[in-house]
Amino acid sequence: MQIHPKKIILLGIIALFTFTGCASDKAQGPTAVKPVTEKAEKVFKGKIAGKSNKAKSISIVVGKGDKAKTVMLKFDDNTKGLEFAKKGSAAIIKYDIKDGEKFATIIKPKLAKLPAGVTEIKTEELRGLYENNADMTVIDARPASRYAQARLPGAISIPVPEMKMGKETVLPANKEQLLVFYCGGPT
Amino acid sequence: MSTTNAGLAKKLGYKNIRVYLEGEPAWSEAGYPTYTSKGFIDTGNIVLIDLRASHKAVEGRIKRAVSVPYDDLEDKINDIPRNAPVILYSDDKEEATDAVDDLRSDGFKHVALVPGNYAGWVSAGGAIETGPIASTEIRWQRILGKGEVSVADFKKATDGGDPDVFVIDSRTEEEVAELGIFKNTVNIPLDEIPGRMNELPKDKKIYVHCSTGARADMAYQELKKNGFDVKFLLLNIDEAECDCEILRP
Repeated sequence: MQIHPKKIILLGIIALFTFTGCASDKAQGPTAVKPVTEKAEKVFKGKIAGKSNKAKSISIVVGKGDKAKTVMLKFDDNTKGLEFAKKGSAAIIKYDIKDGEKFATIIKPKLAKLPAGVTEIKTEELRGLYENNADMTVIDARPASRYAQARLPGAISIPVPEMKMGKETVLPANKEQLLVFYCGGPT
Repeated sequence: MSTTNAGLAKKLGYKNIRVYLEGEPAWSEAGYPTYTSKGFIDTGNIVLIDLRASHKAVEGRIKRAVSVPYDDLEDKINDIPRNAPVILYSDDKEEATDAVDDLRSDGFKHVALVPGNYAGWVSAGGAIETGPIASTEIRWQRILGKGEVSVADFKKATDGGDPDVFVIDSRTEEEVAELGIFKNTVNIPLDEIPGRMNELPKDKKIYVHCSTGARADMAYQELKKNGFDVKFLLLNIDEAECDCEILRP
C-alpha cells in the first residue's frame, strides 16, 4: 500500500497526546463571538481535526465546550493555504457552498495575539538565555499533565486557571525579572 | 494559553515579559532536551531507560527502569515502542542529551530526561530498586485514545464474530478495487459518509477504518455528531498487528 508505515507512528502519537496549542484559547476572544450575518462571508474558525488528501476533506472543530462541533469541508487544487490545514492547528477557513457541500476556498492560520507590551521570543534566543544563565523564570502554561511529561529546562508549571486564581503569589516577587511563558505551540 | 498568562502577568505589573509562541514542540524539534517530572516517572505510561553501565543499574536504579547502556542503545533502538513516551537517565549529562538526540533523529517524538539524571532522582527522594535485573525486555502497551477501537475487537468484527458491529471501510472505491476489502465490511468513502447515513444501522456499533486511521478519525467525528455508537481503528492496516483477512478483488 502507498502509505508509509511511519505515518501510523505519527498518528499514534497525535492520538496519544492531545496537543494544547497556544492559539486555541483565542477562540474565546471577542472576535470569535461576533454574530455572522447571512450576507457576511462564510467562514469557520477553529482547530483542524483532520485532513485527508485522498478524500479531499478537512474537518475543523468550531465552537467551544458543549457547543463544539466538527464540520467537514471539501477542498481541491484551487483551495488556497492548504498547508495551514494541519491537524491540531488553529485555522480560519473561508468556504462556499457548491452542490450542497461546503467547499474550502481559503485557509489561513489563526495567529495568537500578543498582549500589548509583550514580545515574542524565538527558540535560538531562548537557548542563548539558557546558555548565559540569564536571570529568568520560564513558565509552562499548559495543563499540569502536559508539563509533567516534557518541559523546558527549569520551567515551572502555571496552567491558565491557576494563574487566574493564584495571581502574583505564583510568580517571582521581583517584577523586573524576565518571565518567559510558553505552551504547546501554534500547532 | 501562554498569551493569556502573559497578559495576566502584565496586568500584575511585571515589566519584562516574553512569550515563546512556538512552545515546547519547537524546542524539542530544535534538538534541545526536555525534562519530565517525578509523578510521570512513577506512574506514567512510559518506557524508562537507564543508560548507565549495567553494573550501576544493578547497584541501584529508578523503579521500573530497563537497563540499556548507552553503548547498546543503537542496537536496541528498534525494541523501543515508537509511540511510547521515552524517559532517559544516565550519570553523564552529555551522554543523556546525546541519547535524546539519537532517539529523536530516529523518529521518536516524545523523549525527555529525568531532571538531574540518576543523582537528581536519588536526591529528590525518588523510589529506587537494587539487585539483579530479571528481564531486559521492554514492555509497553499503548492506551487507546478517545473513540478508538482495539485491534482485537476490530478483528473480531471483521472475522464475523461480533454481529452487533457494522464495519465501514472509509477508503476510496479505487483503493478498495486495487487492494481489496476486509471481510464483513462495507466500503463507504469518507466524503460520501455525510450523504449516506441512512444506510447505517442505529442499533449497532459502528467501527470505521481506512488505511492509517486519519480518515477513519474524521468519519468517527462526523458519525458521533450524528448520534451513532461509533469507534475507529487508529492503525496502519499494512502492519502485521492487523492480521485481518482481506477479500482480494
